[in-house]
Amino acid sequence: MSKLGVFDLAVRYGKLTAISDLSLSVAEGERVFISGPNGAGKSSLLSAIAGAVRAAHGRIEMDGEILSGLGVEGIARRGLSMVPEGRRIFAGLTVQENLMVGAGMRRDRSAIGDDLETVFAAFPILRERARSSAGALSGGQQQMLAIGRAIMTNPKVMLVDEPSLGLAPKVVDEVYDRLCQLQELRGLTLVIVEQSSARAARVGGRMLLMRAGRIVGDGDAADFAARDLLTEAYFGGAA
Amino acid sequence: MPSQHQLRRRSAATTPLLLGLLLLTFVLVALGLGDRAIARMAAETLIRVTMVVGFWIFVGNSGVVSFGHAAFGCIGAYVSAWLTLNPAMKAALLPGLPEGLAAADWPVLPAAIAGGLAAAVIALLTGAAILRLSGIAASIATFAFLAMVNTIWANWTPVTGGTSSVVGLDRYITPWVALGWAFAAILVAALHAHSASGLALRATREDEVAAAASGIDRYRHRLLAYTLSGFFCGIGGALMGHFIGVINPDGFYLGLTFLMLAMLVIGGVGSLSGAVVGVLALSIAVEGLVRLEKGIAVGATTFALPPGSQEIILAVAMILILIFRPAGLMAGREVMLPARWVARRGT
Repeated sequence: MSKLGVFDLAVRYGKLTAISDLSLSVAEGERVFISGPNGAGKSSLLSAIAGAVRAAHGRIEMDGEILSGLGVEGIARRGLSMVPEGRRIFAGLTVQENLMVGAGMRRDRSAIGDDLETVFAAFPILRERARSSAGALSGGQQQMLAIGRAIMTNPKVMLVDEPSLGLAPKVVDEVYDRLCQLQELRGLTLVIVEQSSARAARVGGRMLLMRAGRIVGDGDAADFAARDLLTEAYFGGAA
Repeated sequence: MPSQHQLRRRSAATTPLLLGLLLLTFVLVALGLGDRAIARMAAETLIRVTMVVGFWIFVGNSGVVSFGHAAFGCIGAYVSAWLTLNPAMKAALLPGLPEGLAAADWPVLPAAIAGGLAAAVIALLTGAAILRLSGIAASIATFAFLAMVNTIWANWTPVTGGTSSVVGLDRYITPWVALGWAFAAILVAALHAHSASGLALRATREDEVAAAASGIDRYRHRLLAYTLSGFFCGIGGALMGHFIGVINPDGFYLGLTFLMLAMLVIGGVGSLSGAVVGVLALSIAVEGLVRLEKGIAVGATTFALPPGSQEIILAVAMILILIFRPAGLMAGREVMLPARWVARRGT
């Protein structure tokens, strides 16, 4: 059985169709990149899975349980956490408070200290800056904090929306290194929106290519570089 | 050795104590001056601290501006009046009171607590509807709530006395009683702000989507803060009634709403210390201006500000603060002892 399943999903904003007839299945522990041109519906897909956008049609399941209608916080409580696009951290709170917000809903209070230690070990800069205001962090550090906060909710599935957006390539390398480390350590299932297929190929994993609200390519990220699927997706060749 | 985190917590725990000490000093100085008017001003200021700190519990943590909290003061004041007024007087003034209330002759402390609880219950019920709205819509709804309470109180004459004042409340409020309640409000506000619920609420203030993605149910945490907030505003209203001895629905309407907002804005909505400092600064300024309006005799001539200049000067002060120091006097900071000092003392 798949960890995460999407069946016949459609998302509409008024008359505009962002996603139509989309189905996909993600296995436990898998790393899936979603790539494609702007407006392909990548972020809409992530938001629909996380419950931030209401689906017009279709259903979303995690471990066979239907998630639709639970709302963002209800879905987060079931172990599916989203790292929203644009490093949406709580700028007015301290770094440590940001992390503790992630842990706020958990019942297993005793494990929170260990998880905090895990996050600090993965991102030592967060330990150094634990008491300073999160708004004072650099862009890369804020992205790390957003990932750390999601880890603190103890997720089984983590959705990450464009972690490389607006970051220097070296910083992106570091973010992906740590993200993969955390995935291995926690047995996470990861779904990542990533514009750069070259980046996805380097990090490694499965890649889904989207165009105009549909999945037009599905395969190993490394293979995409060799084939011309990307060009087709971007320039509208026969998919 | 205690960890950094523990030290930080201990350091934060000094905030309510320091604020309490600040208010204690304020009372001692005011009483030490031996001027009855100043002693009265001190008591009134501390009642406002109770109300504004209560107000801050919701507004400061949720980031939602409320225009309705003066109504909780109204409810608290009238409930306390209904419970403590001499039954014979109530029969004459408020013939429509239900039997239980008409015969009630409660001591003042339980009556004040009952006033706070009544306000909290109304906050819980109205908040359940209002707080599902987001941002500005919630603020407008609180304003509608204020107008509703005022209209009901002004027209339900057999029970509330309508627009004519209810008189004869036991004037038991000394600066010390007011100090006790102000400190209680500060302590509860600090405990709430450091609780998991307070932290979650501040997270929703910073970013709604990210907070929801962290599993936070915004509505639940808002409702808790609103109810707690209603309680202390109700207490503040009860204290205000027993301080002046006369209550009237218009005493808890736009004037009070504006004053509470001005105090919070001037002190800084970002911190509990801001709420307390704002009340002190504004109350002292008002007292000074009132004296200037009355006039100061210099030799044979008296210099006096034209009546009404107090309100204008305060409004200008608020605008200037908004322009030059938008985060308020405290700019979101808390008064607290440094962690290093706490470490030396604590071990």
